[in-house]
Amino acid sequence: MTSIKITALLVAGLGLSACGLDQGMRTGAERSFDGGRDSKHLSQLVAGVWIDQEGCDHWIIDDGIEGYLSARLTPDGRPVCSVVGAPNTVVGPFREGSDIPDSL
Amino acid sequence: MRAVAGGFVAGAVALTLVATGAQAQTSSEEYTATIWIDPDGCEHWVMDDGAEGYMDARRTRDGGAVCHRSEICGVIPSDQLFVTDEAWISDAAKSDLMNFFRSANAYGFLIYGHTDARASDEYNMSLSQRRADMVASVARDSGVQVVDVKGFGERQPRAQGNSAAALQQNRRVEIYCIR
Repeated sequence: MTSIKITALLVAGLGLSACGLDQGMRTGAERSFDGGRDSKHLSQLVAGVWIDQEGCDHWIIDDGIEGYLSARLTPDGRPVCSVVGAPNTVVGPFREGSDIPDSL
Repeated sequence: MRAVAGGFVAGAVALTLVATGAQAQTSSEEYTATIWIDPDGCEHWVMDDGAEGYMDARRTRDGGAVCHRSEICGVIPSDQLFVTDEAWISDAAKSDLMNFFRSANAYGFLIYGHTDARASDEYNMSLSQRRADMVASVARDSGVQVVDVKGFGERQPRAQGNSAAALQQNRRVEIYCIR
């Protein structure tokens, strides 16, 4: 019963995404898929590293309509400050998931 | 008279708190995240709400990151590097370590010292820190970048129990590679 429900939700998510943007209308498991551009599963996002003003790393992902930012952590949960770049810079292929130009 | 008024005010405050709590309950909505695994092997919660995307690092309740062990690049048994209670490294072991760091093909390294549970917690915290610092200085000597160094003493055992085998597994220096 539960597995049937989950499958139904996943199918519904893909269907909505194929129709284009569904801003703010998504529910539950639909949010696990990219809604804007290509409806891929979110586990496939490609990240770069953004360095904050303390010199510490965050994963940054530009997925077209959506942007994601999340802390890079050591195993015990402290920030990783790798000095891979200067503060307020980005290193790596963070726009790989996007073919939408950034106008800003 | 005043006491009665005070009691009334307190009652009103209590009622307000109850009402707010009830409101928060009824406005709950299903919001299911999925997991994204970063290049280090650590998990993040991620949701795509249509035009917006949300992401946050997944943590255990004690604040630790939730990571998969594939990102660890080396666990060195302490017995291979150090004499009991010491933090210096022999020249032969140093040369092996330098080879390891040079061939690891990593941008940087996280180096963590651990001990077994013999001796006091405080002593073990200090010993594991000195050992991690020693391995880090070998890493720097071999020309690679050290991003983080810390000693955890006996607080993060790899194996449970007090058998000789368990204690030996727990005496270790863990090296994580950042690529």
